[in-house]
Amino acid sequence: MASRKTQILAIDAGGTMTDTFIIDDMGEFVVGKAQTTPGDESVGLLHSAVDALSFWGMTVEEAFPQLLTGVYSGTAMLNRLVSRKGRKVGLIVNKGMEDFHRMGRAIQSYLGYSYSDRLHINTHRYDPPLVPREWTRGVTERIDLFGNIVIPLYEHEVEPAVRELVDEGVEAIVISLLHSYKNPTHERRVRDIAKATLRKLKRDLPVFASVDYYPVRKESHRTNTTIIEAYAADPSRRTLELVDERMKEQGAKFDVRVMATHGGTISIRANELARTLVSGPIGGVVGGKYLGEALGIQNIVCSDIGGTSFDIALITQGDFTIDTSPDMARLVLSLPLVAMDSVGAGTGSFVRVDPYTKSIVLGPDSAGYRVGGCYPEGGLDTITVSDCHVVLGLINPDNFLGGQIKLDRERAYQSVKEQLADPLGLSVEAASYGVIELLEAQLRNYLESLVMGKGYSPTQFACFSYGGGGPLHTAGYVRGLGFEDVLVPAWAAGFSAFGCGAADFEYRYDRTLDINVGANATQKEQVEAAGILQEAWNELTEKVQQEFEKNGFQSKDVQLRMYFRMQYQGQLNDLEIEAPLATATTADDWKVLTMTFEETYARVYARAARSPELGYTVTGAIVRGSVEVPKPKIPEEPYYGETPPKEAHRGIREVYWDGEWIQADIWEMEALKAGNRIEAFSIIESPATTFIVPLGFEAVLDQHRIFHLRELD
Amino acid sequence: MAEYDRATIEELIDGTIDFFKLKEMLSSFKDPGRFDTYIEVLQDRVKWQDRILLPYGLHLYVVQKTDGKRMIKCDCGHEFCDANDNWKLHALVYVRDTEDRVQELYPEYLAPDPKWQVIREYYCPTCATQLEVEAVTPWYPVIHDFQPDIDGFYKEWLGRPVPDPAG
Repeated sequence: MASRKTQILAIDAGGTMTDTFIIDDMGEFVVGKAQTTPGDESVGLLHSAVDALSFWGMTVEEAFPQLLTGVYSGTAMLNRLVSRKGRKVGLIVNKGMEDFHRMGRAIQSYLGYSYSDRLHINTHRYDPPLVPREWTRGVTERIDLFGNIVIPLYEHEVEPAVRELVDEGVEAIVISLLHSYKNPTHERRVRDIAKATLRKLKRDLPVFASVDYYPVRKESHRTNTTIIEAYAADPSRRTLELVDERMKEQGAKFDVRVMATHGGTISIRANELARTLVSGPIGGVVGGKYLGEALGIQNIVCSDIGGTSFDIALITQGDFTIDTSPDMARLVLSLPLVAMDSVGAGTGSFVRVDPYTKSIVLGPDSAGYRVGGCYPEGGLDTITVSDCHVVLGLINPDNFLGGQIKLDRERAYQSVKEQLADPLGLSVEAASYGVIELLEAQLRNYLESLVMGKGYSPTQFACFSYGGGGPLHTAGYVRGLGFEDVLVPAWAAGFSAFGCGAADFEYRYDRTLDINVGANATQKEQVEAAGILQEAWNELTEKVQQEFEKNGFQSKDVQLRMYFRMQYQGQLNDLEIEAPLATATTADDWKVLTMTFEETYARVYARAARSPELGYTVTGAIVRGSVEVPKPKIPEEPYYGETPPKEAHRGIREVYWDGEWIQADIWEMEALKAGNRIEAFSIIESPATTFIVPLGFEAVLDQHRIFHLRELD
Repeated sequence: MAEYDRATIEELIDGTIDFFKLKEMLSSFKDPGRFDTYIEVLQDRVKWQDRILLPYGLHLYVVQKTDGKRMIKCDCGHEFCDANDNWKLHALVYVRDTEDRVQELYPEYLAPDPKWQVIREYYCPTCATQLEVEAVTPWYPVIHDFQPDIDGFYKEWLGRPVPDPAG
């Protein structure tokens, strides 16, 4: 019975399990799981889709042809990188600089560590380099930071270097020379000689020049990223092609796209594939932006609690911020990444008592899929936040993940007693409640400091809360912050997947520039500055259009948006700003750009902090191009009324809250109707998430199946 | 609370432990049984019978004699002095205080100027193991590295008195 209109397929291929989310036109979704098949990921993917569709009684043959779009995100590339199982890559750098890659940046020795470990030098460690010293060769040349040729390229050194690397058995060659983003002639020349040498040797190795991929400042970042392109990304392309082919065999009528770090999706044929390395948590932010656009909300705090971490991202004036030198897999990179802040606190965080201070310590490590002591099959001894949920009656041990996993309340109770309550001299319930309070206080402080630290106030923002664990704690972490509105989509657990499906088909290319224009610049200088920026935009536009051509889009279909990064001369931080112009050629155009910068600066910092007397520096040009693709529909339902239907009420459960046992109403999330007002104390359950409406709050479900959580005065 | 078996502690002592295991140990609260296992391993490895109260440095221990005296003792059995004394004053010492001597260790321009800094090496008089190295200005007194409060450590951290010397 193919009664559902399947819309969107989002695939999350993890290291052990492949999850598929299939969303229908009502925003309802099913999740399927199957073992990942590392040899050919498309096999596991299909099993997973079959599993998902079985909940709707549909088959792949029925569902796939109806799908409008499909987005893939996976960890195969990341695993290849982290486990150092990539291609054998040779590296050509400046002579005398052969050690910089293996020395790395000091920060790489503690990336991904908790705060206490960052301070604890003994824990620091340099991972083995992606390219060892013996596969690195130097060639003589030097371009200075202004792009001047200081030492010409010693062309005769290139061929022997390439020959030696080929003899070493490398499978790809990466070239990264100092300041090549500023003047690419030498690096391109090395690339061409390398290619010619390989032809002479009759060897078909790919050659990656950093300037063709990431023409941006910062040597370590640029080199790391280009190496990843050769080491892990390019070898993963075949995996993606197989996924695409297999889906088309099943009747899919779209090209599979991959979620990329800049918040858009790109084709599997994209030149720069390294930016699909990490995409999981970005999905939610993209979804937040999309939902915000649909609902007319400009400023949003996106908050996501999963099992392991609490992730926050800000959307201001309808757009997220981009971090241009993020880190992933303990490497500093030159990829544009949707800026996000994370703390290691989630529902799976371990709970311990500090043996010296006798205080409760949460995380930073977590149980992940092993849940906690309440899940005997997980084989864990240390208790987690989830165990406290079970003790307090906040989650239903028989309906966790829709009853797929049975939790053992008695075991949770005993573990909390032994590990937490007895050492602290508290009752089991009081100790568990203390854990929840501590977690929520930590999240609340973190959320507040993040918003305030960026110069905003929570009252200017709406807060979106999603993720499997988000709605459990939403009330706790927004309490007292005064958000304009707090929104919990009924599909909170699948929100990241929804976001992947909602992402634009978009390419974004960046280039570093150094255009300095003084406060009293002449008209001629302003025209020149505009010209250099325009030239960079032209170059990047061409790159974007070439990418779309690979999927058969013509340049007229591509919607282009020009961005620039600007700062006051001598200041350290630049701002990324969308240009209000399609082209910049005249002195007036230049003035429009600086005016836009002044406005943004005043908004981000303070009006009084503006300093036009310093003059301006343009540090980068960015072009974003997108084409129309189908997006998931936001559900729309007729208004039903304030009183929830009787059949939605699933009974009453005892819940321990703030020192006493109280009666909580249990509601079935799927059965609630638009307009329903849910009063405290209520627990709204759905297979993949639990939403709590504690004392002092009420929740109203709107016509888009989004709950609005209100704090009562 | 974490617990580690004896084999893991032996790897820790030998420095052969896997980095990720070590990182996990460093990042967690200390396991309550660590000290006793650690001492047990050390005690089994030395040939003499005196009870080790505390490891005192590489190859060195504070031991308790049957008459209750606490001594600083080397792996090889050499006894330096009373635990409150500075054992270095009872050791063999080699002072690198000329350019030739420091340049045996460091290339010319990476070596300290011996007028400003000397390197003092301390050796066991019995087994000639190098036990400690100091890099100090030439006139600097011999450093007394470590003066542990053994009674306080046992009582307040381990929660038991120092073992009875007769027992």
